[in-house]
Amino acid sequence: MSALTQDQIKVLEQSRQRLVQLTRSLGSLIASLNQSDPLPPWSSLQSQASIISNNLLGVSEQLSEHGDLLSALVAYPGPEYPGRTQSSTLEQLLRTKLDPRVEDWLSRGRVAGTHDPDSALHADQNSTAPKPLSETQLAELWEWAPLEANEEARRRNWGGNFTLEEREAGVQNVVTGLKRQLEDDEGSEGEEEEEEDEEEDEAEAEDEEMDIVGVHRKASGGLEFDIATHHAHALEPVVPLDEILRYMTTGRMP
Amino acid sequence: MHELLLFASVPVHQRHELLQQLAGLTAMQPRHCLERRLIFKAYRKPGLVTVRTGASQDLQSAELQRLNKMLNGGMYYTQVVGSVSEMDFGGAGAAPPGPDDTAMTDTNDDANAPPADQYDYAHQPWRLEFRDIPEAGTRSAVTARVMSSAALPRGDIVPPMNAWGYSFVTEYVVEGDVFIHNDIVIFLHRVLHYPTTDQEYREPRRQLPVFKDMAPLEKSGSYVLQASITVQDGSNQETMKTASQHLFGLREQLKSAVRLEQADRLSLDTRAK
Repeated sequence: MSALTQDQIKVLEQSRQRLVQLTRSLGSLIASLNQSDPLPPWSSLQSQASIISNNLLGVSEQLSEHGDLLSALVAYPGPEYPGRTQSSTLEQLLRTKLDPRVEDWLSRGRVAGTHDPDSALHADQNSTAPKPLSETQLAELWEWAPLEANEEARRRNWGGNFTLEEREAGVQNVVTGLKRQLEDDEGSEGEEEEEEDEEEDEAEAEDEEMDIVGVHRKASGGLEFDIATHHAHALEPVVPLDEILRYMTTGRMP
Repeated sequence: MHELLLFASVPVHQRHELLQQLAGLTAMQPRHCLERRLIFKAYRKPGLVTVRTGASQDLQSAELQRLNKMLNGGMYYTQVVGSVSEMDFGGAGAAPPGPDDTAMTDTNDDANAPPADQYDYAHQPWRLEFRDIPEAGTRSAVTARVMSSAALPRGDIVPPMNAWGYSFVTEYVVEGDVFIHNDIVIFLHRVLHYPTTDQEYREPRRQLPVFKDMAPLEKSGSYVLQASITVQDGSNQETMKTASQHLFGLREQLKSAVRLEQADRLSLDTRAK
């Protein structure tokens, strides 16, 4: 067994440097996640993540470049090593088997790295973890999605910038994330007429015809009409139910 | 008797649709109903009964004990309900112009009796409806309360009520539709106010205004959906449980239309303070 050359020591020193950088940037990310409340802005998180990713890349390059040397090296304590006081560090250094947790990481990494869609069937039997979809499954999904989305869309009464739920809850409360103001206009003319009707006489609202908002062919042939289930202008109760009940019980005005 | 209840608020635009849905569910046409509801409040008659309580050797008779409990126990609001029809409305102020003509042909005996199409307060049937404050601390998600109804004499109800220690508070009209679904009574209703006049009413109205002038308490005209089951023996846990199960079943069936819920207990507090 020969002593290390200057070059080899330099390689080890470089590896150490890279690993130190990696642990430092990981540590700072953990600290910022733990300490800052609310969470740090996404831009800073992202820059930290990219730093960590660069560090990892560096470590990985370093390790694979000098793989031969590093796998050939053997650590042993010199006579002057303070074995009594630093025994735990010594044990850590002399350990030949990996930590069980690290073993797990490694095996997971290997599985993820070698996994390919063709062996999906084989992998499915072994683990319950979500697997990426195979080509045929993806194709199936894309075939199914537009039809289903269309079906879902037909159930709704389209037009305007807000949903019925949003309008009922009050348009001013809706968080659009936009700088400009969205107008709460009604999409179709039919609804506008209805609005006028309702303004003229609320009582008529009960008798008015239902709106047909969609027509589509039934599987068995013939047409099917979608009927609007709600009026666009919902008059929400102003007095809460509790107050009505209280008035009915005791005659106390809400 | 016990009453189990669930409530829901129904916006006015949903009413027509809900009526149709309920008609389909219950396989019956809605029974429209109009009720005058008079609210009475119990008051302690001054110096009426102050029976000494505490340790007394002579045990009071059961009868006396009951009387004491009634007189000195909790004071409650109670309702006097009278069914009316839409025909009864509109007799406000002067009698309709018709009677003058018919009076010529009428015999003298009928002169005092009002025409058949006019509201007759003196013959208005009433019933007393007592409702206790809903039971507290029940696990189940329904409102449960003790209730009792009794028929009252026709006509002017204020003197008898006063005699029993109740004073008139206010009155309103409930307009709604009733459905019966197995053992559940479904009542879609709303409160109507009498038109405000300068005159302050200290007693129930003897004439009803034109029906069109009645204004809903809830300005948008929304309705209240009430589903109720009456249980004869409230102490029987089994029947109470079955009844709530039935209500939950109805809640599930109507889930897509309305959300039936337990009412806030204090909003149904009938205790007079």
